Amino acid sequence: MKRFTKLAASTAALLGTFALGAQTLHAEPLKIGIIESLSGSQTSTGRLYANAVKYGVDKINAAGGFNGEPVQVTEYDNAGGAPEAADKFRQAVADGVDIVIQGASSAIAGQLTENVRKYNIRHPGKEVMFINLGGEATELTGDKCQFYHFRFTTTAPMRVNALVNALKNAGDLGDKVYSINQNYSWGKDVQAAVEAAAPAGGYDIVGEVLHDVNKIQDFAPFVARIKSANPDTVFTGNWSNDLLLLMKATGDAGLKVTFATAYLDQPGNIANAGATALGHYIANNYDNAAASSDEFPEAYKAATGHYPIFVEGHSAFAIAQLQQALGTLDFKGGDINVTKIALALENSVYDSPVGPISVRKEDHQTIRPVVVSKVVKNPKYPADDTDMGFQTVEVIPGEKAIYPVQDSCKMQRPSE
Amino acid sequence: MEFAIISTLNGVTYGLLLFMVSAGLTLIFGMMGVLNFAHASFYMLGAYIAYAVSSLFGFWTGIIVAPIVVGIIGMLVERFLLPRVHAHGHAHELLLTFGLALIIEELIKLFFGDFPVNYQMPDALRFSAFHIFGTGYPFYRMLIGAVAIIMFTVLWLLLTRTRTGIVVRAAERLPNMAEALGHNIPVVFMFVFGTGAALAGLAGAVAGAFYPTNPNMGLELGVIVFVVVVVGGLGSLKGSLVASLLIGLFSSFAVGLDWSLAGALDIVGLGDWARSIGGLMTLELSSVSATIPFALMLVILLVRPAGLLGERN
Repeated sequence: MKRFTKLAASTAALLGTFALGAQTLHAEPLKIGIIESLSGSQTSTGRLYANAVKYGVDKINAAGGFNGEPVQVTEYDNAGGAPEAADKFRQAVADGVDIVIQGASSAIAGQLTENVRKYNIRHPGKEVMFINLGGEATELTGDKCQFYHFRFTTTAPMRVNALVNALKNAGDLGDKVYSINQNYSWGKDVQAAVEAAAPAGGYDIVGEVLHDVNKIQDFAPFVARIKSANPDTVFTGNWSNDLLLLMKATGDAGLKVTFATAYLDQPGNIANAGATALGHYIANNYDNAAASSDEFPEAYKAATGHYPIFVEGHSAFAIAQLQQALGTLDFKGGDINVTKIALALENSVYDSPVGPISVRKEDHQTIRPVVVSKVVKNPKYPADDTDMGFQTVEVIPGEKAIYPVQDSCKMQRPSE
Repeated sequence: MEFAIISTLNGVTYGLLLFMVSAGLTLIFGMMGVLNFAHASFYMLGAYIAYAVSSLFGFWTGIIVAPIVVGIIGMLVERFLLPRVHAHGHAHELLLTFGLALIIEELIKLFFGDFPVNYQMPDALRFSAFHIFGTGYPFYRMLIGAVAIIMFTVLWLLLTRTRTGIVVRAAERLPNMAEALGHNIPVVFMFVFGTGAALAGLAGAVAGAFYPTNPNMGLELGVIVFVVVVVGGLGSLKGSLVASLLIGLFSSFAVGLDWSLAGALDIVGLGDWARSIGGLMTLELSSVSATIPFALMLVILLVRPAGLLGERN
């Protein structure tokens, strides 16, 4: 048995050498590494990002790949932590990855963008690019902004401004607003955006509170606090349990307020909140009901078995935009030049089902439409196997939704 | 006044939920000396089993079946896994149950998916028990509290007033003597562990319908349950009841208080200076309310290392 194993091993090694020799005749494939939360408490979100990236890359490969080879995707599990993400980044560059993709946490995005920046300083000519699908912390395109980072999602001011506009137009805003958010970069961004939008929205902030992230089991005390401030609308950037528990506690207390949210479409939210969710708002990158045609949702369903949910839509668009940018390049089977891909991506405009998406050259924030929806009964695309789902209230076009470039962004462009 | 009454109500019911989950852990540690890290996973299993059963046979069947199934799983763990590492001491038991917690979490994801499942209380229970200062107080919160109180009473009577209680306590203190008197100690331990697990299962089945049932619920509650047990005194049932209520009340009141170090320094006229520094100085108590239990644990460990009502030292 032992001898057989040895034989098999040496044969494999021999074949490997041949394969290696043969590979040099082939073109260099484009390698994408998804460094995502694929285990641990953020799996539910990380898995969706990975799904959408895979869907997008399958489409690139079905159309003939890039540089004469299929695009390769490898998944790296960061287990929801920044240190693990840094480890996995080292592994990914050792595997020869050209583009890293991540979405499920601003903290991890902050880690990765630093890793990418340092790596690129040390390895000129072999740069790596970072496509950020979900890290919304404003500093990523502010203090930390850099040429090789692209943000393919909204940020707090975009979502909040869109919500304020849409709620005001619909007559649901009222003049007393409460803001409750998680006590870290994202929550603070949302709180600041709600304060900044107050004059334009014509409301008073009757109370605001920051709370621990995903540690609170009982939101009843917070609901008591909201109730005593007596607001018309509650703005919250909360996601996952924090949003669900907050809404449930409000419903249980019989408090009637409108929630303006950013992550209400996270799977499981609508089903768990039940009738409490009706009438609440969300601002997001994309929603199936807002799509100009059924083409994308149906194509996604045909490939994956379900309609795109939560972050899947906008993540698939990011890869489609990458595909479009790759289409303008030809490395003739030679080395992959990531700087050229980044430059092509800067110049791309992708016509998504909710409107065009382009990249702002100054800070690599995408200029993109924001979809504001409301939870209703019997929608076109029901959520979580319930009779409830999202109905589009307004699609704010990219140029209206965007905010000015932050002063703190000092981007060093590559010398050409 | 309104603030005080509502905060007390919320704090007490949340505290009782904490007690419900930690009762089993306390029982297992107090009677067997096993620190079961997977305890909160049994709580999660209870919620998921109740969800699966109740979607087929109705809510109450789920509430009854879940603790039984979780109890049986607990007994199997005690019978087949723990004895293998028992000789190596607490650290190995802790590691084993920690691994078990991770495995249960991934198994749950495998069977039920990554997202929260739709486990709901029946509409018949969804009403306000009473109205206080214009806000409805959900009946179900009262129910959770009532279950916890019944749990405490039954356990306490069982352990202090019955023959079974004497045997269980004897098995813990002097296992060899109890065995010599003809009691089957391994079976006693198996049933104690099973009961502890079943209590967690019941807590999960009841609370899962009120709070979301998702694959993270075990880890999220797991840490706080250990805090309860440490604050109350390892193995003391009364201690963990007191600790649960304390933690519930402290976190509930903290949410409503905008106290900060800067505010405290106002008294001596240094408030503005503190505010100009910002950072820790202006951090409001409400924004760190989830940290209060841990601060409480630190203080208790400094003052009374054995916990509030703990006997071991």
